[in-house]
Amino acid sequence: MIAGHKMSNAIVGLLFLAPALLFFIWFIGEPVAAAIYLSFTKYNVITPAKWIGFDNIKHLFADGRLWLTYGNTFKYIAILTPMHAILGLLIALAVNRNIAKGWKYVYRTIFYFPVLATSAAVAVAWQFILNTDFGVLNYVLGKFGAGPIPWMQSPRWVYLAVAIYSFWKFIGNAFLYYMIGLQSIPEPLYDAAKIDGAGKIQIFFSVTLPMLSPTIFFVLVTTLIGATQIFDEPYLITAGGPGDASRSVNMYIYEVAFQHHEMGYASALSLSLFLIILCVTMFQFSISHKWVNYDRE
Amino acid sequence: MEVSKGWIAGTARRTVLPIGLGGVVLEGALLALSFFMIAPFLWIVSTSLRLPQDSFSLPPAIFPTAWHIGNYAEVFAKVPFFDFIFNSLKICLIIVIGHVFISSMAAFAFSRIAFAGRNVLFLVFLSGLMIPGQVTIIPQFIMMSKLGLVDTHLALILPGLINPFGIFMIRQTMMTISYTYDEAAYMDGASRVWVFWKIILPMAFPAVVVTSVISFIAHWNDFFRPLIFLNSFEKMTLPIGMTALTGAFGTGNLSAILAGVTLSLVVPLLLYIFGQKYLLDGITAGGLKL
Repeated sequence: MIAGHKMSNAIVGLLFLAPALLFFIWFIGEPVAAAIYLSFTKYNVITPAKWIGFDNIKHLFADGRLWLTYGNTFKYIAILTPMHAILGLLIALAVNRNIAKGWKYVYRTIFYFPVLATSAAVAVAWQFILNTDFGVLNYVLGKFGAGPIPWMQSPRWVYLAVAIYSFWKFIGNAFLYYMIGLQSIPEPLYDAAKIDGAGKIQIFFSVTLPMLSPTIFFVLVTTLIGATQIFDEPYLITAGGPGDASRSVNMYIYEVAFQHHEMGYASALSLSLFLIILCVTMFQFSISHKWVNYDRE
Repeated sequence: MEVSKGWIAGTARRTVLPIGLGGVVLEGALLALSFFMIAPFLWIVSTSLRLPQDSFSLPPAIFPTAWHIGNYAEVFAKVPFFDFIFNSLKICLIIVIGHVFISSMAAFAFSRIAFAGRNVLFLVFLSGLMIPGQVTIIPQFIMMSKLGLVDTHLALILPGLINPFGIFMIRQTMMTISYTYDEAAYMDGASRVWVFWKIILPMAFPAVVVTSVISFIAHWNDFFRPLIFLNSFEKMTLPIGMTALTGAFGTGNLSAILAGVTLSLVVPLLLYIFGQKYLLDGITAGGLKL
């Protein structure tokens, strides 16, 4: 292959890799090993770690709050994943019609800018927008005759509150992926379908949707992984309340690790979350060949 | 989807402005949604300009009803808000430059130097993409407390320097560069470092910029890690500084809190204006490669 250099490839290659390798071992490799070890110990950072075998794992299965927060996390997944996947697609389809390029640019800016807006800052603002008594949203709804909605006080409404914020903050991501996916569908495919006499609905189901399936899959996988690890939204907007009604697993892990300082148990919890993410992602990939169409150049 | 059926059969055609009921309904829905997206920003800015005692007055303002800029001075008086922005910028820039440099070097090795075990190593790096941050953060926190780095910016910067996603992005681009460039340079007696720095890195520059923009946004918005690592006011980044600001004003002066929110939008706005091209390129590249 490449000739005429003095040092052997292995040495040069490793030298170029050395910084990445060092930081990888330091901050990813070693911590993963440490997390596995810690999950068999009782450790509060101050006194030395004590090996307790499978006690953490036994405790994990009996921990009512863990099951509760897992249940909440699955509610987030069930609400947020289809919401972003479907509404993002509908908005992209609406914007992607033959409107002038300038308008596409305007809509892209409008839907995408909240993604960039400093998340904690806009979440603070949304806390006030969603306030039951003096919030803007209830004021506007009141004008339409809807009674004040207890966004933060009701274990049901609180999920809608998070969903509204999540839509506003992150719909731009799914929207943008779909816009790019739509624009990469070759025009001749549409022309051919039209010549065959296909109607608009037929074209949508036989051309647009199959060609878009890799993008839909990508959006589903990324939003699902994001929803499984949800932290910022409930932490900043609902504080997990009322009670534990909107507390996610990730918030619970944070509490166990950094407020109760039970590092061993928290490590076991974090590994359980990792295993679930791994299983769900592998499941998604395994069924993807049934409906995702990778048949493009 | 591009054409909506007109009232009269036969008017359906590809036009710039959609004619017909379907188009009007769609356009109306889009405009309503756009208003929903923009209104919070307008409310934030307008309310930040109200007198503190009017900050909760209804109706909420879409356009400013007052021009009380004193709230902005309040923000800087109550918390070290300038420090928050400076800290965020400093940490993000150091991480971006550092990790892009480290990733580029690794990507060069993975794409252009053949050695035994290279692909296995690459897979090991890629597997790092699957590890959620919650798993590594606990051991990292213990490590940082032992090193005495809790409540320092280094606790955020050091782990930020490794990012398998960056290595992956830059390597994918370097793979597309023809080997004839390297070979010609080596013929002329060039060194590996020279080829990396003068030929391959400049040619992979679009991927470098894209990786930089994406990782800047991720670190700029990061709330979880600063929440765990930083305690003192003057070291806080903007996201956790915002919660400090809310704490400082309680619910007493909403206008001042929203003045802080308005100020937090300046950097993202500049980023959108100057970085959107690279951002779109990056998302295209990332989305299509999956």
